[in-house]
Amino acid sequence: MWVFFAKHPRLGIIFTALLPFLATLAALAIGAVMLILLGADPVEAYSALVEGAFGSQNALADTLVKATPLLLVALGICIAFRGGVINIGGEGQLVVGAVSATLVGLSFPDAPGWLLIPLALASGFLAGAVWGGIPGALKAYFNVNEILSTIMMNQIAVQGMNFLLRGLMIDPVQLEAASRIPQTARLAEAFDLPRLVPTRLHLGTGLAIIAAVLVFIFLWRTTVGYRIRAVGLNPKASRYAGIHVPRHIVLALLLSGAFAGLAGAVQVYGVHHRMFTDGSATGFTGSAGFNGIVVALFGQLHPSGCNPSLFLIRSTPGWREQIAARDASPICLYHCAQWLSRGFCRCQRHLETALGTAARERNS
Amino acid sequence: MNNSELVQTLASILLASAPLMIAVCGEIITERSGIVNLSLDGTMLMAAMTAFVVGLKADNIWVGLLAAMAVGALFAFIVAFGSIRLRQSMFAIGFVLTLLGDDLSAFLGQNYTRIPGPVVKHFAIPVLKDIPILGPIFFDQDAVVYFAFLLVGLTWLLLFRTQPGLRLRSAGERPEAAFARGVDVNRVRYLYAVLGGALVGIAGAAYSLDIKIGWSDGHTRGLGWIALAIVIFGGWSPVRGAVGAILFGATKALATFLQRTFPEVSVVAFNSLPWLLMIGVLLLVSSEVSERLIAIAPRAAQRPLRRMLRVSPPRALGATFVEERTS
Repeated sequence: MWVFFAKHPRLGIIFTALLPFLATLAALAIGAVMLILLGADPVEAYSALVEGAFGSQNALADTLVKATPLLLVALGICIAFRGGVINIGGEGQLVVGAVSATLVGLSFPDAPGWLLIPLALASGFLAGAVWGGIPGALKAYFNVNEILSTIMMNQIAVQGMNFLLRGLMIDPVQLEAASRIPQTARLAEAFDLPRLVPTRLHLGTGLAIIAAVLVFIFLWRTTVGYRIRAVGLNPKASRYAGIHVPRHIVLALLLSGAFAGLAGAVQVYGVHHRMFTDGSATGFTGSAGFNGIVVALFGQLHPSGCNPSLFLIRSTPGWREQIAARDASPICLYHCAQWLSRGFCRCQRHLETALGTAARERNS
Repeated sequence: MNNSELVQTLASILLASAPLMIAVCGEIITERSGIVNLSLDGTMLMAAMTAFVVGLKADNIWVGLLAAMAVGALFAFIVAFGSIRLRQSMFAIGFVLTLLGDDLSAFLGQNYTRIPGPVVKHFAIPVLKDIPILGPIFFDQDAVVYFAFLLVGLTWLLLFRTQPGLRLRSAGERPEAAFARGVDVNRVRYLYAVLGGALVGIAGAAYSLDIKIGWSDGHTRGLGWIALAIVIFGGWSPVRGAVGAILFGATKALATFLQRTFPEVSVVAFNSLPWLLMIGVLLLVSSEVSERLIAIAPRAAQRPLRRMLRVSPPRALGATFVEERTS
């Protein structure tokens, strides 16, 4: 087969581009087998999937809204992974960004919306940058493994969030009520991100898509982005080429955290309009910080790849709820499908190498 | 705190850190061979769930334990297979498996939450338990604790005093050289990745059958990551890893103790303490800071200090080995 594609490079390119979709199909097929084993009807389940994700205007808008934080986190992950640093701290960075954006909104309840919203989003961006920058600096200057330090930073961020939401930032109403649910007061309605009525689609989604374009330009069309990628590919060679390696490692993790922080701010201002906690990080983030990594990897660490893959992945939770309602509840399938698609997708590199070898053998 | 209370606290610290010690030993074996199994967190969740559910159905903890080992071995095999055979990033596979294990365990275990099940019995070693102070701490414990200590010793012996251990380490340090000397590097890696995974499975089972009995959603969430951190802190040595695990248990106990003593200070400070300490320790062992500290110490103490503090990962850790084709 490789030889065939080597002879017809154009067909080879098309095949390569189609691979993610083939992979998804394969994953869905395996998912169907699992559904049958669980005693559910796969046709019904998959139609529920499509219906739940894209069935109506509202469903589509909801899918987009749920996809927004994932896309933002994934963009950050693209920068970090391209820079050769593994950022597992999306959860913590998202939480920190959300908390700081909420603080801004709560501190100036009378400010005009056009002024406050950008300010709040910027503060989320900055807070995430700081939370990502700390492990970045530890990695660059003290050689501390970033996988571990970002995980520790997650835990610390969650502790801080719980502290603030149960104390300083708690809703005055909750303070008087006996239940004392740890959440802040609702932010002023003037601060809501503009919505596309009548759906829940908000400005944040557009912002995320613009950010995707910006990240692409940054990574592939600017000097700094080139340097980050160079450091990620080969730090030693980069150093000999005169690139200040530690600085770019810090920058990669810092920007990565910043986008996660922005995702947190967008979640607060676009969806929840307040901050809340259930004691763990997932209560607020919905594991977007982790799932964003999967999205980025699935999108092959390229901003443009993040978009479609994100659709495929994020549409599934709606599916999950639908199926749960029908009492089949194969929650696992959600991640199985993700994992499988990812596995199949990675075969692409295999194929590309094979294509290259075949072409070379033919030419020589 | 009087004496008997102190003894009790120490014993409970040992009990709490025993499963971590087991998981750390497993991961050290895996990583010394050159494979990074990042799926620890998911593996332990799956293993804990499997051990409990299977143990409950079969009404036999040993069957549950075996099932947990099989699950751990399977997860590790997927990581090894994906990296060795499919040439994928083992970090990515491990990470996705972490997420998979988390959700799959929640799904498969959803009908078994918060119900009583089989329990590992408390087992005091006769005679030894009557030694004053040391007896109640070390020998009046659960089987998990004895196993953990035994395992630490056995792992050390395997790694540093046997021929298979030498091959294992050579596969992780200099795979090309090992291959040239006739070691089937990838087979070694498969073998020890799976062995390490099975041990991690035991660690997961230890939670659901002994330390934190039963099953609930996210039963051991976070502990796998801690084990991974301790592996690095322990410099890929089982003895230091065990010390790290006990230290982590101790900081947690210390945090609880401090919290009771100073109720006016926020809980956050104490809950964050173990994490901050771990970042600090990682900072200490991985940077130049340790070298500077050693230089201050008296000359006679420098060599042992360096042996204690210096950390260097297996040279070929996380790198796939491709056999050279000689034609």
